[in-house]
Amino acid sequence: MVLLKNLHPPTEGVRHEQAETTAVMDGQRLGCGTLYVAETRLLWFDGSGLGFSLEYPTIGLHAISRDVSAYPQEHLYVMVNGKLSDENEAEMAEKAADDEDEGGSSSDDGDDDDDDEGTITEIRFVPSDKASLESMFSAMCECQALHPDPEDDDSDNDFEGEEYDVEEAAAEHGHGDIPTFYTCDEGLSALTQEGQATLERLEGMLAQSVAQQYHMAGVRTEETKADFEDGMEVDAAAMEAGQFEDADVEH
Amino acid sequence: MATSIRERTIAENSMVVLLQGLQGEVTTVDLRNESTARGRVVSVDAFMNIRLADVLYQDRRGQLTRLQDLFVTGRNVRYVHIPDHVDIMKTIQNQLSKIHRVRNFEAGAEGSDSLHSAANNMTEKQPAG
Repeated sequence: MVLLKNLHPPTEGVRHEQAETTAVMDGQRLGCGTLYVAETRLLWFDGSGLGFSLEYPTIGLHAISRDVSAYPQEHLYVMVNGKLSDENEAEMAEKAADDEDEGGSSSDDGDDDDDDEGTITEIRFVPSDKASLESMFSAMCECQALHPDPEDDDSDNDFEGEEYDVEEAAAEHGHGDIPTFYTCDEGLSALTQEGQATLERLEGMLAQSVAQQYHMAGVRTEETKADFEDGMEVDAAAMEAGQFEDADVEH
Repeated sequence: MATSIRERTIAENSMVVLLQGLQGEVTTVDLRNESTARGRVVSVDAFMNIRLADVLYQDRRGQLTRLQDLFVTGRNVRYVHIPDHVDIMKTIQNQLSKIHRVRNFEAGAEGSDSLHSAANNMTEKQPAG
């Protein structure tokens, strides 16, 4: 959220425009101006061009308040996560007395930090035409829905394109995604020539790696077996290539 | 409420379907900033944005305010209370079948995508005269 000078009306995607709307920010009356509910952001500025814009992801909630006992005028209440940019707030000269800022700290991209502390900014848009509150509210709902939470790690929302139909997917891919495992004998006969060659190559590698077991991570060492006292001693002499060939597969 | 294909897919693969089934119910939503909002559920979308009507809103300080309409973003929702009288399993099943009906309706023009949905159509609709 930034307070800007020389704002001009958005040209595209304006879902709702409400003139003669007073903006009150954290109790500070900013003046009377025009509210623009645009698809990209929420804008408000007064006649002299001074105003501010809000990014929808920073807006926590918005509501219509018609309870005049709580607040004397019917208005659109907007709760923004985090605090506003302090240096720009100081430009609104008259508000300097109530300045609670910590000097020059920009909180524009500090949303997450402020979230944890629960800092919020309360903005009230008070239109002169109270009947327009529903339209303002609905327009904001629509625009808000266009900006789903980009930092949502909890939900797995990666469903792009066509609807995911379980049966359709199964029919299309058969069960190709799930590898088929063969056991021992039947597996050997199912091997293609290429598969057979691969098997022989792998078995050869296995035999070799057993013989080189003391060469860790490709680095040759001079240490003898006795130095590897981790209880995992293997009698190299007992190993031979193809040792596992006739192993029974017992599952 | 019209939903996009993407929203339906997201919804049917998450627990948000349960919240969508609470439409019309009065319940309490706990927000992340320690405030609460109690009102009638108007709608819940796939991103867990919740719209409530006739709301009693209590802020962190405990101050109560009545709000006519309230829209809270999914990101700001901590808990949604499920009313005791709500049958959770049934609600989820109803929501899922609604989604499937919409999907079959839209796919119907080109013919059903699978035997399963065709079977659903046969059981749900009365055979023509």
